Amino acid sequence: MIRCSSLVKSFGSTRALDGLDLEVAPGEVHGFLGPNGAGKTVTMRIVLGLLRADAGEVTVLGGDPWRDAVSLHRRLAYVPGDTNLWPNLTGGEIIDVLGGLRGGLDDSRRATLVDRFDLDPRKKARTYSKGNRQKVALVAALASDAELLVLDEPTSGLDPLMEAVFQDCILDARAEGRTVLLSSHILAEVEKLCDRVTIIRQGATVQTGTLDELRHLTRTTVTAEVRESPEALGDLAGVHDLVVDGQRASFDVDSDHLDEAISRLAALGVTSLTSHPPTLEELFLRHYGDELADIGVAGTAGPDDGHP
Amino acid sequence: MRTLTGLWRLVRLILRRDRIRLPVWVLGLAAVVIGSGASLVPLYPEQADIQQYVDLFGDNPALVAFAGPGYGFDDPNLGVILVNETQLWACIGIALMSIFLVNRHTRAEEDAERTEVLRSSIVGRHAPTAAAVVVVAAANIVFAALCGVAFVALGYGATGTIAYAAGLAGCGLVFTGLTAALAQLAGSSRATLGLATAVLGLAFVLRAVGDITGNVLRWLSPIGWAQGVRAYAGEQWWPVALCLAATLLAVAAAFWLATRRDLGSGILPQRPGPARAGMWARSPIGLAVRLQRATIVAWMAGLALMGGVYGSIGEDVEEMIEDNETFADVLAQLEGADVTDAFFATAVSMQAVLAAGFAISAALRIRSEEAAGRVEPILAGPVGRWRWAWSHLLVAAVGTVLVVAAGGVGVGASYAAVSGDASQVLRLTGAALATVPAVLVLAGVAVALFGASLRLALVAWAGLGVVVLVELFGELLRLPSWSRMVSPLHHVPGLPAEDLRAVPLLVLTAIAVALTAIGLARFRSRDLQVG
Repeated sequence: MIRCSSLVKSFGSTRALDGLDLEVAPGEVHGFLGPNGAGKTVTMRIVLGLLRADAGEVTVLGGDPWRDAVSLHRRLAYVPGDTNLWPNLTGGEIIDVLGGLRGGLDDSRRATLVDRFDLDPRKKARTYSKGNRQKVALVAALASDAELLVLDEPTSGLDPLMEAVFQDCILDARAEGRTVLLSSHILAEVEKLCDRVTIIRQGATVQTGTLDELRHLTRTTVTAEVRESPEALGDLAGVHDLVVDGQRASFDVDSDHLDEAISRLAALGVTSLTSHPPTLEELFLRHYGDELADIGVAGTAGPDDGHP
Repeated sequence: MRTLTGLWRLVRLILRRDRIRLPVWVLGLAAVVIGSGASLVPLYPEQADIQQYVDLFGDNPALVAFAGPGYGFDDPNLGVILVNETQLWACIGIALMSIFLVNRHTRAEEDAERTEVLRSSIVGRHAPTAAAVVVVAAANIVFAALCGVAFVALGYGATGTIAYAAGLAGCGLVFTGLTAALAQLAGSSRATLGLATAVLGLAFVLRAVGDITGNVLRWLSPIGWAQGVRAYAGEQWWPVALCLAATLLAVAAAFWLATRRDLGSGILPQRPGPARAGMWARSPIGLAVRLQRATIVAWMAGLALMGGVYGSIGEDVEEMIEDNETFADVLAQLEGADVTDAFFATAVSMQAVLAAGFAISAALRIRSEEAAGRVEPILAGPVGRWRWAWSHLLVAAVGTVLVVAAGGVGVGASYAAVSGDASQVLRLTGAALATVPAVLVLAGVAVALFGASLRLALVAWAGLGVVVLVELFGELLRLPSWSRMVSPLHHVPGLPAEDLRAVPLLVLTAIAVALTAIGLARFRSRDLQVG
């Protein structure tokens, strides 16, 4: 559905894309991950023919997105990361504008989506919060019969309830055989929805593959209280950053060593146990660790070189 | 004053943000006004020359409408000419500067949700509005002071110059306060600009009618107050106090209104809109019409109203000439050209300059849509750039025709009413429509620049500035005659005083089309930009 190879795009002296590869197969939900400024939005804009790549090959739905923009866009729908709407039109009108330009929306589907996303279509766009603006763009895209959905951080600004609705909608879309390219910062969302994932960094692809392959790179954080001394856990393969405080231990463990670590904990007599899966933050911290070290950050933020 | 906490830091922020913009406004306006003042000195060296000017000008209502009441014509000096030639335009200039700058730092900031960020820090409720008022008031005073110092240096009388400058500053201050209040009343920055410029238009009309008929209407207009100081003609100072009082009242109203509303909303109520779009949503052109129609209608109403004022004077022009021996002589020299028609030709061309403002902003709608990121969702659908852009431009072009025609109908209908000659409606509407190709050339320049880049597109407004300079001040500033060739309006036959010539209109149309084509071709091959 989408094939990009060795994409290069510069803005002045800034190289936004530097040999990026991306391949999205028909019928899959493809996660597109990377820190701020890695080039996700630029890539999507090239895929849409809104920007022209300086070098490299792009094929979307078998065509050239710059040359065949109009005919290709009949078959795809896009949700931008920061949706800008006409302040004096209502949400309902904007959905109809975006749908009307592609020849009309399925009315019953539109009504269902407006209902599911709990959107008030009679309010002027200027009064919408970011989340509500995002809902307008999502309803317009999802109510279309596009075979390819290009979604740029579509859940930013949505509350957890609406995030769940969104995830259901994407699963429905996959069941209908639609293809989705989804950029996101929420790993839980990507894990739940995506068949394959591409991780980029500084305009180049660093990792692409199925989620199992991705999990390989990640660690689970475990906090437990045990009856015996937990010190011995430190000797286990795959256990990192062990902190022992009396009977209490917390550590990170590589996903493929989780089983061993839990068996060992059980043997120590577990009185309480919490664990949480690797967050995107932790993934980034691992994946971009050297970069963070360079700028002297050991904390939370991803590197940001200022190009959203 | 806890509601003003942080005022001076906000003042510094505005000065930092507008370190280019403020000097450009102040120095640009001052240069035109001072340049005009300087050019008058060698033009009228002797008392006899001054007397001749006054005799020529007389109390011709047509000229009064575009200049002022002509205080001091019975015992004229050079300062009287200075006031008559420059004061009205300087007042409009300073009012526009105040409107744009105050809106930029109050309602536009609020729309961009930056006020929210500021207000969440240690900043009083009224500090952002107060900071904008302080900076713009200072800009007004600096502008007036620059003009004053220059005029005294040029040899104009000191007392009269102080009165002239005080009137200017006073007029600017009133519009500063007024815009601050309207920003609280309106629901958005666009609405604020619309309301404030409408008030300015009304102020112009009220004083024009008041000056011509000599009645009290002129005292309802801040421009009338500025002229009411009678600079160089037996100064009176109370209108300056009136300006200051009105300013303080307006700022107090702004503060009071601000406590009656939520941040981001207006006092004027917002009703729920339709849940579904009409048929217009099915095509880019329908969307363009929907987005621009309110602006087009507002401009049509504004120009029709203004035209109505000009038309209503038409009959007076004739009567005045019958009474005025000097004018009868002048008329004889014009070899039969009708002075009423000459007046209408001037009115039509003034309206064309205003319509050019509409045409440029309507054409630049494609720019603002792109800059705000609203074109992305459209172009991500099955709509090409060409179709999207020409939809907006077609609406802009048709809107321009409608706006110009509305102005012409206003002039024609009101002149027909006072003269009893119904054929004037068609005749004067036709005269107005002849300016459309020239107006569209200016819009074409905007499109050509837009094709290059978003930033460059704004230079199109400088094009309008050049036309205003050449058309309104060219003679006064004694610009070389070739400079007038630059203005597309200069090439339009001055209907109804002159005969219609088709060739210039066709050439202008061709230039407009070519400029648009160049712009669109370049737009199609460049990247989309944001901001």
